[in-house]
Amino acid sequence: MATSTTAVPLEEAAPRRSEGQWAIVFRRFRRHRLAMFCVGLLAVLLLLSAAAPLIAPYERDEPNLTGRFLTPMGRDADGGLHILGTDHLGRDYATRLLYASRVSLGTAFTATFIASTIGIILGMLAGYFGGWVDIVISRFLEIVATFPTLLLLLILSSILVQNINAVPLPAWGASFLAFLFAVSEREARIIFAVILVLAFFGWTGTARLMRGMVLSVRENVYIESARALGASNARILFRHVFPNALPPMIVDFTLGVNGTLVAESALSFLGFGIQDPTPTWGNMLGYAQSYMFQYPWMPLIPAMPILIASIAINYIGDGLRDALDPRQRG
Amino acid sequence: MAGYLARRFVQMFLVALVAAICAYGMLYLVPGGPIDQLLAERQNAGPNRITEADIRRVRERFELDIYLPFRFTRWLIGWPAGPLPGGIGANWQIGCAVPGQVRLRYPDGRVEVREEGCEVPVTMADLEGRTVSRGIVFGDFGISQVMLRGRPVSDLIMTRLPYTLYLMGTSILLSILIAVPIGVYSAVRQYSRFDYIMTTIAFIGASLPSFVFGIFAILLFSVLAKNAGLPYLPPGDAVGVRDYTIPLIGTVQAGSFLDRFLRFLMPCGVLTFINIAGWSRFVRGSMLEVLSLDYVRTARAKGVAERVVILKHALRNSLIPFVTLLAGILVALFSGALITETVFNWPGIGRLFIDALGRNDYNVVMALLIINVVLLLIGILITDILYTVVDPRIRLT
Repeated sequence: MATSTTAVPLEEAAPRRSEGQWAIVFRRFRRHRLAMFCVGLLAVLLLLSAAAPLIAPYERDEPNLTGRFLTPMGRDADGGLHILGTDHLGRDYATRLLYASRVSLGTAFTATFIASTIGIILGMLAGYFGGWVDIVISRFLEIVATFPTLLLLLILSSILVQNINAVPLPAWGASFLAFLFAVSEREARIIFAVILVLAFFGWTGTARLMRGMVLSVRENVYIESARALGASNARILFRHVFPNALPPMIVDFTLGVNGTLVAESALSFLGFGIQDPTPTWGNMLGYAQSYMFQYPWMPLIPAMPILIASIAINYIGDGLRDALDPRQRG
Repeated sequence: MAGYLARRFVQMFLVALVAAICAYGMLYLVPGGPIDQLLAERQNAGPNRITEADIRRVRERFELDIYLPFRFTRWLIGWPAGPLPGGIGANWQIGCAVPGQVRLRYPDGRVEVREEGCEVPVTMADLEGRTVSRGIVFGDFGISQVMLRGRPVSDLIMTRLPYTLYLMGTSILLSILIAVPIGVYSAVRQYSRFDYIMTTIAFIGASLPSFVFGIFAILLFSVLAKNAGLPYLPPGDAVGVRDYTIPLIGTVQAGSFLDRFLRFLMPCGVLTFINIAGWSRFVRGSMLEVLSLDYVRTARAKGVAERVVILKHALRNSLIPFVTLLAGILVALFSGALITETVFNWPGIGRLFIDALGRNDYNVVMALLIINVVLLLIGILITDILYTVVDPRIRLT
């Protein structure tokens, strides 16, 4: 490959010395226009969900039985404008959608973050130390991988959601999550149960990927040199192995967020995940399905953000893959 | 090969056992379940308030009065079903029908009732008259405690299985027939307009949740089409209950072939579309890889016709990785598409699982779970064996 004679754009061949690795990645990513557009879309969604309590026009759970099933832009008896209409209890749809974005996106990011952390740590241990550590972790991984994930997700989630007192969450954790998701502490416990379940089944892919990466990274000469210089295992792992195995993990995390988002929506849609009155895109869609024959616009409203977020996250993952590892361009 | 198979079977059995223990423990160790639900439902129901005797009866029906390890072995291998031969162990206590209660009086005057010890024990002899399954290991899944009120789980599964088989079988077959040509054509004409359109559709299709698809399909083909006065498709169920009229088609009799066919179209279409999205990408990727190999270039250099190069030399080899997908197909055939079946109210196995879980019918849930795990393990084994068939370089040792 060293003697390749293909023309390479000058800026790519010789990046300026001051430009760090991440600056290069960012420059490459920026060239992927669709991915940049999707970053914008996702940023808007995140911003809206962060600002939900500030910009929501109504109370989240305030029913209005005289103004049920209002069409978008409809006005209730008091003359209040409902931009996206109201649901089967007369609650303002726009308000609920804003809060739902916060819960859905927050759950997806938190659960994926936990799952990725577990996966990266276990994969790193298995790949770096090998031997019996590897055997134990790999066997455990194989067994978890043969579980029918969706069935177990449903079972665990339905059990935990029915018994939220069995959820191991200290009071400060509950109040933190309540703040994060703009919900009450009781609701935060249910959300945490769902996060736990999603994280428990989400780490296997990451662990396998990380193990493979570490297996290849640790054969590099710089690891050997580090060891020759007397670096400890911990130092080698965190200073040398981890940063070099990181790029595919970032892509994996991005795609994982989409997977978790869809899984949480499916759970809540089927009625085994986060429960009403806590709004999520999934359970709003689940309720809307029962009324879609009389009010066909209802399911469209919670379905659109699921569509947008899901496609946007996937395109961002695609762009990141191209930017982080140009060799893998497919 | 025989040694390998024997070792694999032992391994599979162990994995299935571990999965069974985990799942069983998970269902029963967490507080709540049928009793709590019953209590919650009827706590304030006036004259229907449940009594101690009711609780005892329900506990017996769900076998909750037998300690967990024995309950598990009864479910797993149908033992213990009574005293050992010769009446040994007739008075061994293996459960507790009525837990003992202790009143704790605190110095500050509070009184707390705590469950402790056992007032009425269940012994081996008490098990004699009870129905017990022969054990899940021997293919008896026990009785459905809620949905069929005491009839075997296998009855329930057998009534639902045909629907799932016929939905999944058709959609999987259609998906393969459509996805492989699309994938091959995309790969051969890489970066053409067709390729761009197909990869974009596949990308979107693969990243979207199936329930969103299902709802969009119902919205488009049932609700909007009906409102617009166009021919529409019935939105759910496998068989209609009453006749209905569709513009241009006329009156459809409930239960007729046409009725079943119309109701079948949408769930099948949605499943097929989702499968095609995933599989055509898969075929395209593996085809691209094979097309860049040396022997394909050699074949072209020898002047072999392009058709033959693609269909004979490249396609056959590019389908080898496709074999890995077969492991999933076996499970999918049996367990169906849980979410799609629920959206379209299709009375298959996936829908059964959701219903059973929602109504705390644990034996049904466990049966479906175990069948799933076993089928997945068998699927993986078949895949490994098929690999040696399609690619003789791979040997199982």
